[in-house]
This record gives sequence, structure tokens and C-alpha cells, in this order.
Amino acid sequence: MKPKKGDVNWRLISIIGLMISPIIYALLKPLPEITITASYWEILIAGLLVGIGTRFGSGCTSGHGICGISRLSIRSVVATIYFTLAGVVTVFITRHLL
Amino acid sequence: MILIYALMSGLLFGLGLIISGMSNPAKVIGFLDITGQWDPSLAFVMLGAISVAFLPFKLAKSRSTTFTGQALQLPCIQTIDLKFILGSITFGIGWGLAGYCPGPALNSVLTGYFEPVLFVISILSGMGIFEILKKIRPPI
Repeated sequence: MKPKKGDVNWRLISIIGLMISPIIYALLKPLPEITITASYWEILIAGLLVGIGTRFGSGCTSGHGICGISRLSIRSVVATIYFTLAGVVTVFITRHLL
Repeated sequence: MILIYALMSGLLFGLGLIISGMSNPAKVIGFLDITGQWDPSLAFVMLGAISVAFLPFKLAKSRSTTFTGQALQLPCIQTIDLKFILGSITFGIGWGLAGYCPGPALNSVLTGYFEPVLFVISILSGMGIFEILKKIRPPI
């Protein structure tokens, strides 16, 4: 999975585009409010799980959920079902049981 | 030229995440909260995105290079093993816990909130842990 030399630049640039898009949006109209309910600890642990999980699972919501399903990849459909179910169960436990 | 296209696609993706509400963790949690006040709207965001991306990916499959002349690289692995499923579940737990996945988190890094910054640093650390795990036990 090592990116080839010429692939690093455009990948970084597209991430920069993703990061500056709120600034462009804010030039036209105010950004919509966002609400973060998780604590710093939850964010920290969730980030680690997302980092490890996306590498072992070879993708995330965009990679499997949108691009993979668009390509009709069975592997991506399976991943999307498992991560959505895991998300639903996690929200059920953290919002309704704890 | 490829860099301009990359920038444009990153921008477009980011604007889509903002407009659709995907970059709002409360909305993502509302989507996953099927036993509470369920907000199904993100399912339509996904379906909308898939229906738009479907034809371009179909076109891509019939080509060997991109419109900018690079070799077209589409994933070809089809193995679904335990490692893959556990990875997806691990990702899903993190997604449900924070309401963030990588795209929306990167999208919010420069909006003045601390959480997305912490989340992105944490993702990078998690990827580092993956690399270490891979070195210790190569064929997990």
C-alpha cells in the first residue's frame, strides 16, 4: 500500500482542498453550526479506533461507503454493513445504556 | 494540472460534507441512533453520492488511464477475512463514539474547534499503531 512517488503530492493537495473548503464556504455564507457531544477522552479513543480500523478494514465511510459501493464492490458492501452496525450498537450503548 | 484537479475535488468533497451535514457529529450520531430520535437523512446523502459516482466509476473501469494521463488505479483485492471485518467493526465503534469519520474530521480541522484536530492526531497515531502491529505479526 506504499504510495508511489508522484502520488503523494496530489493526495496532500486534495486533503488541503478538503481542509480549506469551510473557509471558501464561509466567504459566501456563515458555516452551519456543529455540535460535538463527545468528551476529549472519547474523541481521543475514537480517533485511535478509526485510525487502526480504517487500516485493517482498508477504508472508511467515503472509501467503502461511497466509492466502493459505487463500484459495486462486494467487499465494500460488507465493510459498510459491519461499520454501520458497529456504529449503531456503539451509539445505542453510549446514549441509551450508559 | 493534476494538482488543480486534486484541489478542486478536495474542495468539492469538503463543500458537500458541509452542505449535507456530514461534518456535524451530532447529525451523524442522530443517523446511527435508530432507537432514539432517528434522523435518516444521511442515508439519502450516501444514496445521492453513490448514484452520482456510479457512472463515472463505470466509465473508469473501461479505461486504463485517467483524463490527466496517469495510470488508473482501482482497488482489485476481494478478500474478505476476519482481519478485514474486525477492522471495519473497529472503525464503526470509533465512528459511533465520536460522530466523526476521517473526511468530516479533516474538513473541520480549520474551523476553530479543538475536537477535530485532536481526532485527526489520534487517527494518525492509530495508523502508526497499525504499522507497529503489522511489523510485530506480519500475517495477522
